[in-house]
Amino acid sequence: MARIELCDLNKSFGSVRAVKDINITIEDGEFVVFVGPSGCGKTTTLRMIAGFEDPTSGEIRIDGRIVNDLEPRDRGLGMVFQSHALFPHKSIAQNIEFGLRMKDVPAPERIQRVREVAEMMHITHLLDKMPAQCSGGESQRVALARTLVTNPSTFLLDEPLSSLDAKLRRELRAECGRLQEELKRTFIFVTHDQEEAMTLADRIVVMRSGEIEQVGSPMDIYSEPISYFVADFFGSPSMNLVAGEVVGDTDVVRFRSTHFDFALPEHFKKSKRGAATFGIRPEHVGVAFGGKGEIELPVRLVEPLGKDTLLYFDDGTERAFIAVSEGLEMADVKSGARITLSFDPRRLYLFDADGRRIGAATQF
Amino acid sequence: MTKSRSRRITAIIRYTVLTIWAIVAFFPIYWMISTSFKIDTQWFAWPPVYFPDPPTLSNYLNVWLGAQEYASTQYAISSQTPLVSLLNSTIIATTSTLLAVVFGAVIAYGVSRYKILSEARMFQLLMLRMIPPIVVVAPLSLYYSALGLLDTMFGLILIYFLTNLPYAVWMTKSFIDEVPREIEQAAEILGASRWRTIFEVVLPLIRSGLVATFLFILILTWSEYLLALILSKTNVATLPVELSKYQGTTEGKVYGRQAALAVGITVPLMIVGLIIRKHLARGFSFGMVRR
Repeated sequence: MARIELCDLNKSFGSVRAVKDINITIEDGEFVVFVGPSGCGKTTTLRMIAGFEDPTSGEIRIDGRIVNDLEPRDRGLGMVFQSHALFPHKSIAQNIEFGLRMKDVPAPERIQRVREVAEMMHITHLLDKMPAQCSGGESQRVALARTLVTNPSTFLLDEPLSSLDAKLRRELRAECGRLQEELKRTFIFVTHDQEEAMTLADRIVVMRSGEIEQVGSPMDIYSEPISYFVADFFGSPSMNLVAGEVVGDTDVVRFRSTHFDFALPEHFKKSKRGAATFGIRPEHVGVAFGGKGEIELPVRLVEPLGKDTLLYFDDGTERAFIAVSEGLEMADVKSGARITLSFDPRRLYLFDADGRRIGAATQF
Repeated sequence: MTKSRSRRITAIIRYTVLTIWAIVAFFPIYWMISTSFKIDTQWFAWPPVYFPDPPTLSNYLNVWLGAQEYASTQYAISSQTPLVSLLNSTIIATTSTLLAVVFGAVIAYGVSRYKILSEARMFQLLMLRMIPPIVVVAPLSLYYSALGLLDTMFGLILIYFLTNLPYAVWMTKSFIDEVPREIEQAAEILGASRWRTIFEVVLPLIRSGLVATFLFILILTWSEYLLALILSKTNVATLPVELSKYQGTTEGKVYGRQAALAVGITVPLMIVGLIIRKHLARGFSFGMVRR
């Protein structure tokens, strides 16, 4: 059982405010991912929960109890570090056993428990090795096992996968998900990788320069980003974002930029006119030769991926305008060919000059 | 010129220079050992005698055991046998070095983890050690005399402890800095108290560094001459002070005896170095955490 509440949490390093007025409640058994670019305060927030940083102001509560003044070891949490932080002078078995020894668990039980978690994490063959003899993926499993064995109420994971290669990362990501499902514990996971956040989280907390930008389920964050920042951060390939302006009278509302000029859907009618950014995800752009559409653009590059084909268009900016076409239908398109693009009106986003989302949530 | 040829020439030059340097560095040691086995007529014979012929143990027996029957000529040089000085040196050097390393490590831990000293303070600390001892030795001997510390073991241990503390802090701090904070934090969140973290995690990891620091300071203390000369008289004369007595003016230069004594001063340090060579050889590289 662990329900973690952060109330008006602030942290300053000298004159730098690393974390600003964080308020969030993490429910028992929830998998929450803090995500954001480096320096956004996500790791500092995690370290405050762990007890390694003292909040400048605000409260941290675990199951209703204020833990600000508790030592890390008295908070009943487990943490996995980015560097794995295994004890280099102890064997893998001794590493895993460490937490139990600190809690004065009798030796026979320790051996038993170490064996159990080693089996659970598929690392029994490593028990007699030293950390230096383990690969990156193996040490990460050991780090997880070492935390697991102490049976913490909450797992804090600080970018645990960032030092691994792509394949291992996917593998261990799945492992983390499986663990959480089996253990039904609270997981707080920090990452800068949007894909990790999307695949693992029950709830994503997007952070930006010390503040919470948006909180929501992965689907919420993906389909209802509240700002340009969130829209741009999530999705791969990322959302097409085109700077321009919203123009028109009371009846017609159009988006216009150097290459784009098209009528916006009905629900934008009442939106403020002026500078804006238009956004649409690549998978919501329809592509066709000729026919009806919002705009025609020349193809710059075609990337057939097998399942899909990515089409990169020249829209006059450095960042290409991307569309995804299913299958290999478009794989043979030559660069320079002009293609008509249509935009799914329900999946069209507008952001104002400050990067805030314009218009009510689209209806589905 | 081909690449491999130029590389060979570079190698030849490098090894030539290194060999010459090795000879320059090792010759005095060879000369000391060789002289210690020479009979007195060969000490300053010309042309020089490189290999003692016949080698004799009389210098050693005379100096270390006071065995006069081995000496063709007896020099009344020192009122005490060097064995007493050896004991003095051993007690004074090891005690003060141990104290310096232990206290140094404690201070260094505070500096590394809790910033108890600012960078400027740390430099000031090192500056203390930069003061030439000759500058302070006169007032120091007055204080020592007034405090009754002159010619006492405690007095020498105290002054060596204080003068070497800055080195100990600086050296051990660099080793503690090498231990990633996260490793300590991992131990902490797994339930280890501050003390257990230090004893179970930090100390084992900096053990090699502590040993290297110990040897470094031990060498400094073992061979220190000026302070020992001024602050001791006869009771606690250390080996370097004893050694200087063989450079008397009235009896002439008794090189053979001096060399025999010098070998006795050098060997203990070599033995210590051999015992802890594993730690020295392992070097100061830790590389324990994947970054």
